[in-house]
Amino acid sequence: MDDLAPGTGTLTAPPFVSVHDISKSYGGAQALKGVSLSIRPGEVHGLVGANGAGKSTLIRVLAGLTQPDGGVIEIDGRRVAIETPHRAGEFGMSFIHQELAFVPGMTVLQNIMLGLPKRHRLGIVDWPAIARDIAPIAARVGVTAPLGASVKGLSTAENWLINITRALVRKSRLIVMDEPTAALSAEESGKLFAIIRDLSASGVAVLYVSHRLDEILDLCRRVTVFRDGRSVAELSGDELTRPALVSAIVGGAVDIFHKVGDAVTSGDVVLSVRNLARAPKVRGVSFDLHRGEVLGIGGLVGAGRSELARLIFGADRPDSGTMTLEGRPFAPKSPAASVRAGLGFVPEERRTEGLILTKSIAFNLSLANLRSIVTSPVLPLISSRKRESLAQRTIRDLAIKATGSDQPVGRLSGGNQQKVVIGRWLQSAPKVLILDEPTRGVDVGARAEIHRLIRELAAQGLAVLVISSEPDELPDLCDRVLVMAEGRMVRELTGEAVTRHDIIAASYAAAQDHQRISA
Amino acid sequence: MSDLSMSTRKLSPGARAGLGIFARYATIIGLVAMIAVFSILSPRAFPTFNNFINVLNQASLAMIIAGGLTLAVQVGELDLSIGYAASLHGVLVTGLIVQNQLPIPVAILIVLALGALIGIVNGLIVTKLKVNSVIATLGVGTILVGLSFAYSAGVPIVAGVPEAFLQLSLGRWVFGIPNPIIVMALVLGGLWVLVERTAIGQEIQAVGGNPAAARLAGISVDRIKILGFVISGMCAALTGTLLASRLGSGTASAADSYLLTAFAAVFLGSATLRDGEFHVLGTFVGTLIIVFGFNGLNIFGAPTFSQYVFQGAILIVAVGLSSLGRMLAES
Repeated sequence: MDDLAPGTGTLTAPPFVSVHDISKSYGGAQALKGVSLSIRPGEVHGLVGANGAGKSTLIRVLAGLTQPDGGVIEIDGRRVAIETPHRAGEFGMSFIHQELAFVPGMTVLQNIMLGLPKRHRLGIVDWPAIARDIAPIAARVGVTAPLGASVKGLSTAENWLINITRALVRKSRLIVMDEPTAALSAEESGKLFAIIRDLSASGVAVLYVSHRLDEILDLCRRVTVFRDGRSVAELSGDELTRPALVSAIVGGAVDIFHKVGDAVTSGDVVLSVRNLARAPKVRGVSFDLHRGEVLGIGGLVGAGRSELARLIFGADRPDSGTMTLEGRPFAPKSPAASVRAGLGFVPEERRTEGLILTKSIAFNLSLANLRSIVTSPVLPLISSRKRESLAQRTIRDLAIKATGSDQPVGRLSGGNQQKVVIGRWLQSAPKVLILDEPTRGVDVGARAEIHRLIRELAAQGLAVLVISSEPDELPDLCDRVLVMAEGRMVRELTGEAVTRHDIIAASYAAAQDHQRISA
Repeated sequence: MSDLSMSTRKLSPGARAGLGIFARYATIIGLVAMIAVFSILSPRAFPTFNNFINVLNQASLAMIIAGGLTLAVQVGELDLSIGYAASLHGVLVTGLIVQNQLPIPVAILIVLALGALIGIVNGLIVTKLKVNSVIATLGVGTILVGLSFAYSAGVPIVAGVPEAFLQLSLGRWVFGIPNPIIVMALVLGGLWVLVERTAIGQEIQAVGGNPAAARLAGISVDRIKILGFVISGMCAALTGTLLASRLGSGTASAADSYLLTAFAAVFLGSATLRDGEFHVLGTFVGTLIIVFGFNGLNIFGAPTFSQYVFQGAILIVAVGLSSLGRMLAES
């Protein structure tokens, strides 16, 4: 660190890392459509954008976790390829993520030194000498846990500090921090900001990725804004204001959406949720879901939406709050109880939570509906004929592309896999269907089909709750959108107000209101 | 695992398909080859109808306990208590008949109920206390060893075992077929129907395939897991009872070695016909391979130590083939 000039003149110095016109697609989805970004030595550079704007993909490219399809990466002005995470480390970059990974049984010191070359004496790792080397760095960063202590049970804040120490030990010149304050208290965040400023002063650059615009405005002198896989603005100096950031994130253009079917909120209330809470993510949520309605829940990643869905479905138990289903008290003890009561759930992670990948389409389709495909209630043998005809009908209705109903679902494309998960609930005919990110990782054609299907189901009287982080999805689908932030419902948008623009604006504004109240 | 699957990914599609066929049929090819070799080497003693019936008879006890274990592994858990449990059941059923003078059917019903109870205990420890099933069932199994010795004081119960109880395993009540073969066929047939053809069987397969997805599809995962342990426990009780009848005594540790045989059979079976997926028919084939192997070694008068070498080696080969099958299925 000492051999670097103290971080001054960051706005004029030649960049340490710069990327030009990086593109990357996953399957049919274009995650990055040409982003550019440059980070100068010792600068705290902000990176903002709505969910799915491409921030995480760019970080993965820089970290060597994925290779870009096109574009140029330069480090110290030399064009490089970052093939592996190891190479990224050699180039002087460290990455600290929201989910921090430590080896639980090891000490703080062992975790800091994990995978790094260590001092040896007579062929034995010389831990005392290493500890002497590391202690001043850890002290500077503010690590209070003894180096010899186990990392088990340390706070998230302490884990961040240990990771920063690790980055400094590696002589990193850039530390990428992804949502660092997501799980920190206000006081811990304040300490972290002081450390970030100290790092900056000593010449270590920080790429600060966050949804929290106040922090961005407070810490960063330059901010790059991503939207829809493009870098749409780089703001600094006087241009760097909250309204400018929000308008760049949201985009000037207000899209016009065609909505099929009429807005229906007049149907009977099917599911009523009151003050539902489970610490720390869901902090008191109330709403009504009507028959024939597609109700969207918008908000930023981490707002507590998936956690809310799991509470309603009985996958987790609430700390407090009540629900009623068709007017009767509803407190499911398990997903099995929910399904019996008439709920269906399409989880966020279809491969790990939605499907049994090695099993056939027919098998996966029938799982929530086994009682209706037995030969008789007395002799509960599965009727292959009933199962097959139901499977064929679902495959036809949902246009699932497969070689046959006996094809293992693991071999289907993402969109067709998702249709199998949705198709399972069509067979069991629920009253309420909850879909968490129904079109994530699905190609454009399948996405349109899934949307049409959801609207058709609502038209038939199903009450549908859709959670989505994709900016365009809720306006496409929903009659009404509730925006959630920090575990609470903060806005209700209906009719003309259900636009991508308003949803994103509400997500940020709401998070802002809440921070002001709690500060 | 990930390194290995990387290495299979580099294979050409043709080579992978070939490897897949090898993994699926290796066990059956092995069984046929073994029978052929033994028949050539010992044309008088080995390839006779009587020897084959004898082998199947010998194999039946292992097949029953391995069939039960198949259900436990199908719900994604291991049951290491079965061998010790079978030993306890053998001691107990003999004791109930000889010392307590209970009618034979009553004694058998009692040990079957005990087998189910052991399964419930195993299942509750695994699902409610969240103890890893290897540890839970090893612990329970060790407790059962203690109970066996406590009940029998370590002395085999030999005297006064009624002829009727011996006839349970020695008799040929149906078409001159040895009774254990009939019992085995009923048990394996029943288990096959349960797993492959009933609604509960579908839930068993779903829980074994992906418990998180099964739960969110509305399946009571814990109950299904407990059921797997109960079936495993009851099959252990049946094997223990038949072994006591065959030996004419209740001996505390007589059935311990069935644990290893059952595991090898179940894993060999998972590599049979399906890609590393556990199934009852596979377990049947797996057990046949192991018992034919032992039979061959016996006929050639191979020394005792070679049987241990054979059993250890076949366990490793079985698990290897099983994971090869799974790897190919995933890649």
